[in-house]
Amino acid sequence: MTLITFRKVLSGLFFLLFLMLFAGGERLSAILSGILPPFQFVPALLRTLAQPAALFAAGLIGIVVLTLIFGRVYCSFLCPLGALQDLLIAASRKIGLRPRHAYRPPNNLLRYAILAVAAGALVAGFQSAVSLLDPFAWWGRLVTDFVLPLLTGSYNLAILAGKPFDLYLHPRQTPFITPPALALSAAFLALIVYLALTRGRLYCNTVCPVGAFLGLLARFSLFRFAAEKNACTECARCAEVCKAGCIDPQNAAIDMSRCVACFNCLDACARTTIRYRPQIPAVRFEDWSPARRRVVLGGFAGGLALTLASFAGLRQMLRIPSAKAQTPVTPPGSGNLARFTSRCCACSLCVAACPTAVLAPSFADYGTGALLQPKLNYEQSYCDYECNVCGRVCPTGAIADLALAEKKLIAIGEAKLLEDICVVYVNKTNCGACGEVCPTHAMRFEDRENILYPEVDQRYCIGCGACQLACPTTPRSIVVEPHKTHKRAEKYPEPARRPAPPPTASGDDFPF
Amino acid sequence: MKEPQKFNRREVLGKGLSLGLLVGGAVILGKTDFLLGQGPSASLPDLVAVKNGEPDALFKKAIDLLGGMRRFVKKGQTVVVKPNIGFPRVPEVGATTHPLLVKTIIESCYAAGAGKVYVFDNVVTPTAGNARNCYRLSGIDEAARAARGIVVPVDDFSYREVRIPGGKKLKTADVHALILDCDVFINVPVLKHHSSAHLSIAMKNLMGIVKNRMEYHLVGLDQCIADFCLYRKPDLNVVDAYRVLMSQGPAGPSNPHFADIQIKKTLLVSQDIVAVDAAAARIFGKDPEDIGYIKIGHAQKSGNMNLKDLKIVTYAM
Repeated sequence: MTLITFRKVLSGLFFLLFLMLFAGGERLSAILSGILPPFQFVPALLRTLAQPAALFAAGLIGIVVLTLIFGRVYCSFLCPLGALQDLLIAASRKIGLRPRHAYRPPNNLLRYAILAVAAGALVAGFQSAVSLLDPFAWWGRLVTDFVLPLLTGSYNLAILAGKPFDLYLHPRQTPFITPPALALSAAFLALIVYLALTRGRLYCNTVCPVGAFLGLLARFSLFRFAAEKNACTECARCAEVCKAGCIDPQNAAIDMSRCVACFNCLDACARTTIRYRPQIPAVRFEDWSPARRRVVLGGFAGGLALTLASFAGLRQMLRIPSAKAQTPVTPPGSGNLARFTSRCCACSLCVAACPTAVLAPSFADYGTGALLQPKLNYEQSYCDYECNVCGRVCPTGAIADLALAEKKLIAIGEAKLLEDICVVYVNKTNCGACGEVCPTHAMRFEDRENILYPEVDQRYCIGCGACQLACPTTPRSIVVEPHKTHKRAEKYPEPARRPAPPPTASGDDFPF
Repeated sequence: MKEPQKFNRREVLGKGLSLGLLVGGAVILGKTDFLLGQGPSASLPDLVAVKNGEPDALFKKAIDLLGGMRRFVKKGQTVVVKPNIGFPRVPEVGATTHPLLVKTIIESCYAAGAGKVYVFDNVVTPTAGNARNCYRLSGIDEAARAARGIVVPVDDFSYREVRIPGGKKLKTADVHALILDCDVFINVPVLKHHSSAHLSIAMKNLMGIVKNRMEYHLVGLDQCIADFCLYRKPDLNVVDAYRVLMSQGPAGPSNPHFADIQIKKTLLVSQDIVAVDAAAARIFGKDPEDIGYIKIGHAQKSGNMNLKDLKIVTYAM
């Protein structure tokens, strides 16, 4: 097996696994989320910075060590967005859109500036910069926003086709993606498709901060691609197959910081002058020019300064609020608003896995610093009492993995009854739709002249939104207000046992 | 919906012939009082109440006393069994119909010659995941399939709008096509406490065949529940009062350990939906006069809530 076949098989496998992680249903998502995200750079980093877990720390160290030994194999083997681009690039070559690649000089200023912005944002907890740049988050949102609706839609259509034959299956819930979030995803999809079809892996080498960071490490990797200058005929076949555009055939130079280790050049080289093998560090610094170093460092420092300035000072100066006055309800396990928004990378895995589809990507509801992070969308659905999937799948720990018994007592908000529009108070007729669905018995009913008036007992309300969804009035007479810091509800007391009536032999003691 | 009464020639001839034989035989044997209505088969009860047994035995006894399943289900007919599967609860909570009862009814329908038996309920919070949980947790999905019942999940596309003749508040309803198209409709509610209707029994259970149930809540729950019976009453009502949820209804707690349950091991069957609700209210320990929709249903002549006017057969096992 050549290294190329090895790469294709492995990245194909990871591509499918990452597809199933987001589109495989809640059960598969819960299993795969314990295996895959530790080996994704940004989730592993976020988790390790906030609340280190052994597997995630090992994953992070593993990625760094792997890169230091083999170069950016991460980008060709493990990154699902990379695999998606490789598929597009292959398609582009097949249809003749771009049959040949060519050397492209690096845009270091841009790439390290973006890295600096991302790093600064990470430190400052300004997650928008991270979630708008992280390849894992974009992959997740692309699958959740486009692939998942397509899959569930066709599944539900197939179910309809079975009905005339008495074949019945439960339909699946399609996630609800808020229009601005969907528009942003569509724009990114257009961008990544365009870049891949016409410019190869340009995104990975100019925009992606993970690529830029691993590129810094790959400069010093043990295994390196190198052409033997004396044997090279400058035929440029290697450059023609190089998706990263990092081979300069005229100088027989390969830029390891941009090489994504796809191994295509090894096969293409007619005289096998390109080798991939351990090499001594001495040769590495030959092309390390002080001028470029200044540019790089300048870009890094500038980006970092810009990021930091844009948070505290600038935002206050321009009076950009950090969040709307009324923020949405955050998922159970997110603890409080600040904790949640500073840890979530907006990958939408919880959105994809949520069985009631109550989780939906926000747009700027949490402020400009936390774009696209999920919120509970109570106008569309409610949070299922018997479910803790969002916490189980969350890769960054922004939604803590609560045990179900614990989650059932976490109040993420509280229901407010609006008596001035509630039909029972206004029309004096029974309704009680809120009470039918309340899972914690927080809805109490007071019997006044045989009419049952609803009241909310806040001791038991966990803010799940079932009542809001059930309420028949427009606008709703019961709405959940968020707790910015989640609270703990009281446990509903156990009722006294009722004894069974003694069995009687005769049929005379029926009450009629 | 098809016509409630249909005879084909063979059936009429067969009935005429057997009637002739019966009358002739009785006259010959000198047992004419049997023909005058004193015998059990000549005057069937309006309502049967049975207790002290398991759900399967209770139903078999009750349906026997009501004249047997063949009275309701004819050969080749399509039957819909409509239990209460409204909540994601295990049977021990008492929020859903006992799965063994559903299974026994389906078996009894097939034994009477039914062509197809469908099982359906529109769950209270009709999201896809919740409906799946309701069907699975209630044990009804598995029990119904074991008896060859065709389990039909909730979808949004199977409803047709019908007019309610004489409905005071409920003018139209979106009714599930299964109910509209079936020959026999068997209503199998569970008796339980209900936070906004006091009790949920047979009339309330019919909210699970309409899509616009929230309209009921909005314009007047009791009146709408009663109004629907002006359109369609079930051919048979079987009320499960085996395990009765006495408070925290209609959903009950998700943990059966916390459920306020009284084991009554009772079952009621009747064609009269108002009468069966009135009798079940008494079993629960409530006066039917206090239940809004029972009173309205009686006033609108959908049935008779005055139990003393009815022929009721009771039996303790």
